[in-house]
Amino acid sequence: MSETLLSKKNRKIIKDGLWDANPITFQVLGICSSLAVTTQLKTSIVMALGLTFVTAMSNVVISLMRNFIPSKIRIIVQLTVVSALVISIDQILKAYVYDVSKQLSVFVGLIITNCIVMGRLEAFAMSNPPWKSFLDGLGNGLGYSCVLIILGIIREILGSGTLLGYHVIPQTWYAAGYVNNGMMVLAPGAFFLLGCIIWIQRSISGYSEVK
Amino acid sequence: MKNNTYTFVFAIIVCVVCGVLLSAVSEGFRRQQEINMDLDIKKNILKAVRLKDPIAPKMKPGDILKIYEEKIQELVIDENGNAIEGRRPSDLKEKEKGVYPLYIYKESGEVMAYAFPIIGQGLWSTLYGYFSLEPDAVTVRGITFYKHGETPGLGGEIDKEWFQDNFRGKKIWSVKEKQLTPIGVVKGKAADLFKDERVEHKVDGITAATITGSGVTEMLDKTIRAYEPFFSKLRKI
Repeated sequence: MSETLLSKKNRKIIKDGLWDANPITFQVLGICSSLAVTTQLKTSIVMALGLTFVTAMSNVVISLMRNFIPSKIRIIVQLTVVSALVISIDQILKAYVYDVSKQLSVFVGLIITNCIVMGRLEAFAMSNPPWKSFLDGLGNGLGYSCVLIILGIIREILGSGTLLGYHVIPQTWYAAGYVNNGMMVLAPGAFFLLGCIIWIQRSISGYSEVK
Repeated sequence: MKNNTYTFVFAIIVCVVCGVLLSAVSEGFRRQQEINMDLDIKKNILKAVRLKDPIAPKMKPGDILKIYEEKIQELVIDENGNAIEGRRPSDLKEKEKGVYPLYIYKESGEVMAYAFPIIGQGLWSTLYGYFSLEPDAVTVRGITFYKHGETPGLGGEIDKEWFQDNFRGKKIWSVKEKQLTPIGVVKGKAADLFKDERVEHKVDGITAATITGSGVTEMLDKTIRAYEPFFSKLRKI
């Protein structure tokens, strides 16, 4: 290997996923799941972990196979690999953390259809070596995770008055007439929040659709 | 462009490898998963009957099973409400008609509650839970849901304590009308909608989860009526 494992170029791959080309705010992928699973922080976190693992690992597997996959059936092959990984995770969760898996089973399965996973396979893993692909998957997964966790925190506090299931809004506030924001529990609430996050991230990173 | 034979062979190899891998994973973890599921069901029965000393959140599986063995008597009844000798809830087939599992919670010989499974359709998924009555066969003692695929934060709230606590102390029998009146989930707050004794048969709904609520109403209606032959014998009103 001509360059070190964490050379400047490789660090850039991670940073791209996290910030400059964040899958949600820059590529606008994975919106569906970021709206659906972020009503509570706990589900957001597990979903983020699951997706990061799947993106990184499927990137590695596909990257290893990239020179052998017939291009005609590459999407199906990618999907098969992703599904196999996701189902394995689901089975492991069911065996060892049954309670968490019960809360999440639908979401874990949904990782299969997450656009970010397939997007990274097509855009990166098909044309790059395994280690770089792993970093790319990791970076993108973490980029997605950050947005998910921010959404989860804001939505759970505003929508349910709790954080990780613990009450954070004092009872005295409720007594004084404060009510939980019902819209935050629903998808539209997440949509507005997500819009704001994309806006903020883009104004800091200086990205604009119009060049 | 590689030729078709290559494509086919490649596809077959991928399928076989993934298939074998998944079967291995599923087979390898099945035992552990079944233990988890069985434990979860027993935990939920214990939760539904509201034990005098509730099981602690971090209690070891062995201890939970021991409490279950000690306090819960398993029974299978037929459609006339008579116990069927020699059958246990665990060996009932899923599609079997006319047989109903029943769990009796006893504290030093005295009956404290009757529990039975409730199954029905929510918005997205089938809801599975347990429902328990006080020994008077009228008053609701508890309800739990242990498996569902409803939206978290909306219909998924059925597995939360605030929703399940709503059911405590409600009645399935109307003294005034002298008939069975299963519990209904209303849209909004039950106490605002019903000012008379009808409020005894209604519980608060979940905001933005009306269909899940109707699902719960329906499954309770269906199940409570199915068990009525048994409970009518116990009732002293």
